Amino acid sequence: MLKLGVFELTDCGGCALNILFLYEKLFDVLKFYEIKEFHMASSFKEHDHLDVAIVTGTVSTQRDLALLKHARNHSKYLIALGTCATHGDVQGSVEGKIREKLEKVYGTKANPMKALDSKPIVEYVAVDYALPGCPYDKDEIYQVLMNIAKGVEPPKKDYPVCIECKLNEYECILVKREIPCLGPITLGGCDAICIKSGIGCIGCRGPLPKEANPAGEFEILKELGYDEEYIRRKFKTFARGELRW
Amino acid sequence: MSIEIDAFTRVEGNGGAEIIIEDGEVKEVRVKIFEGPRFFEILTLGRHYYDVPDLEARICAICYLSHSVASVLGIERAFGVEVPKEIMLLRELGLIGEFIESHALHLYLLVAPDLFGYADAIRMASKHGEVVNEGLTIKAFGNYIREVIGGREIHGINVKPGGFGRYPSIEELEKIEKNSEALIKFAKRAVGIFASQEPFGAKAEHYIATNDYLYGNKLIACDKESFDYFEHIEEKSLPYSFAKQSRYKDKIFMVGSLPRVMLKAEKLTPLAKRLFEEYKERLSKGYVSLNNLAQAIELVYGLERASEIAKELLDKGVEGENISVEPQEGEGIGYVEAPRGVLVHHYRIDEKGNIAYSNIITPTAFNHALMELSLYEEAKRHYGTLDEKTLIQKLEETVRAFDPCISCSVHLVKL
Repeated sequence: MLKLGVFELTDCGGCALNILFLYEKLFDVLKFYEIKEFHMASSFKEHDHLDVAIVTGTVSTQRDLALLKHARNHSKYLIALGTCATHGDVQGSVEGKIREKLEKVYGTKANPMKALDSKPIVEYVAVDYALPGCPYDKDEIYQVLMNIAKGVEPPKKDYPVCIECKLNEYECILVKREIPCLGPITLGGCDAICIKSGIGCIGCRGPLPKEANPAGEFEILKELGYDEEYIRRKFKTFARGELRW
Repeated sequence: MSIEIDAFTRVEGNGGAEIIIEDGEVKEVRVKIFEGPRFFEILTLGRHYYDVPDLEARICAICYLSHSVASVLGIERAFGVEVPKEIMLLRELGLIGEFIESHALHLYLLVAPDLFGYADAIRMASKHGEVVNEGLTIKAFGNYIREVIGGREIHGINVKPGGFGRYPSIEELEKIEKNSEALIKFAKRAVGIFASQEPFGAKAEHYIATNDYLYGNKLIACDKESFDYFEHIEEKSLPYSFAKQSRYKDKIFMVGSLPRVMLKAEKLTPLAKRLFEEYKERLSKGYVSLNNLAQAIELVYGLERASEIAKELLDKGVEGENISVEPQEGEGIGYVEAPRGVLVHHYRIDEKGNIAYSNIITPTAFNHALMELSLYEEAKRHYGTLDEKTLIQKLEETVRAFDPCISCSVHLVKL
């Protein structure tokens, strides 16, 4: 049996929860793995030697950072799971320095709980697999865990949301309905879920690696009449400053 | 000296507690919320209203739809938009899906292991597979409703000011009607299981809820007051926690399932009401652990109500038309009952439709003070008679009764 730990840093709880939403597939995973740490689901804790550590959330406190380092130093494989862990997600995009933010919200610059500006875990440690998504596609984590258990290198997705949109034969809402849609510059894997609802892709899986053309997308949105500040914020929402143009 | 609970387990998010002992007596308990701050109000400031419900959904995955709906209600009130009954019924159906998913998660996967004596539901499944499976089936059904109404199990984007991106099909509504009826027998069994739990924790002296069962335009309290949150609720910051604490007219209060069934029993569906009557005397004792029994009764309510709503929509047909929303300067509050209790989204929006002020208060933040008091009373009751490990276990069970959502509780702010 492989030893599995799930570590939650600062986030909405969804990435850990989504593992439980695997339902019967979770029991397939448990044929290969023994859960040694998963504080949302279990009071059991024994995480000194792990084969696989799944880490969700952003590093937003010194405690998060210590936990991340512990997970890295005590596991063979480390999986950064969800857009918080891979790109910073919404809390990573909040602008301003930590002391200014603390003052705005708590009325004091004092930082007794040692908060940090939120950053993705990939900025602090090397990770073996990075699976973005807010939330990520459940099947992806299932496949990665099963592949690791069987000694197979998990495949990586590298196509935009537009591909899945086309496969579903949805109408292009960016071109046809002039609704802002980040599909062309966002990594696919969600089955174009926003477009299914007739809504533009909000970019929650983070930017498409390599071939993304944010400058082109920016120009299209500007021509459609959206102001620069609006587009800038939309690009930034899930991926901080990664999309440049 | 002090006893530390490093991290609460089987709860959502990161928090712990410190029990301070002086002269052999429990002097104080501090509930520490050390989940990092996520600054949601700063994030939404200056953003266009249309994108805000999707951002707010990210506050919490377990109750993302409560946040989306509260956000949409706050925005619509700011613009003076009223949507037809059909849209409100669909929103209610989404919230019910979330209740079913969240209560099932809490009762079967997080609390039941305490009752059966296991570290988690996975280890419990080998002996009590039937109970775990029933729980997972109910939870999956709740998630199905969330997917249909919200667009996705977690962080859906379908709930929008003025209506929905996509409306459910007849087949989806028929499936909801049929499956919810079939699952009621499981939920009834859950009521039996949780009715056997020994009461513990503090006694809640004041209850607060929204005026309708799942949402409202005012808050109500057990002293018959009907009010807006800022009239009688005050928040203060603490040096040892990222969450603030609240008082209602200077008193500690509770939000959640127990307050809801106690304040709004007349709005329950027939079978849920009968079960409430059966356990009314027990529930009226007010111990916070009775929240678990109230949640089980709400599971029955949720399944009955989901079926009622699906039937009503099928009978009259779903039009699927959105109300047009024109931004204008305004202020609005959305009050929703998240599974854990009252959730407030309060916005001021400028004439271009951008957010100028935002204040969000989550149920776990409302319950923070009572959680601390409950731990204090439990620690006093057991310190010296139980060994440290068992004591900590008791205290964790007490925290669990609130079904706290710590990720949500850390941003309750005025800007």
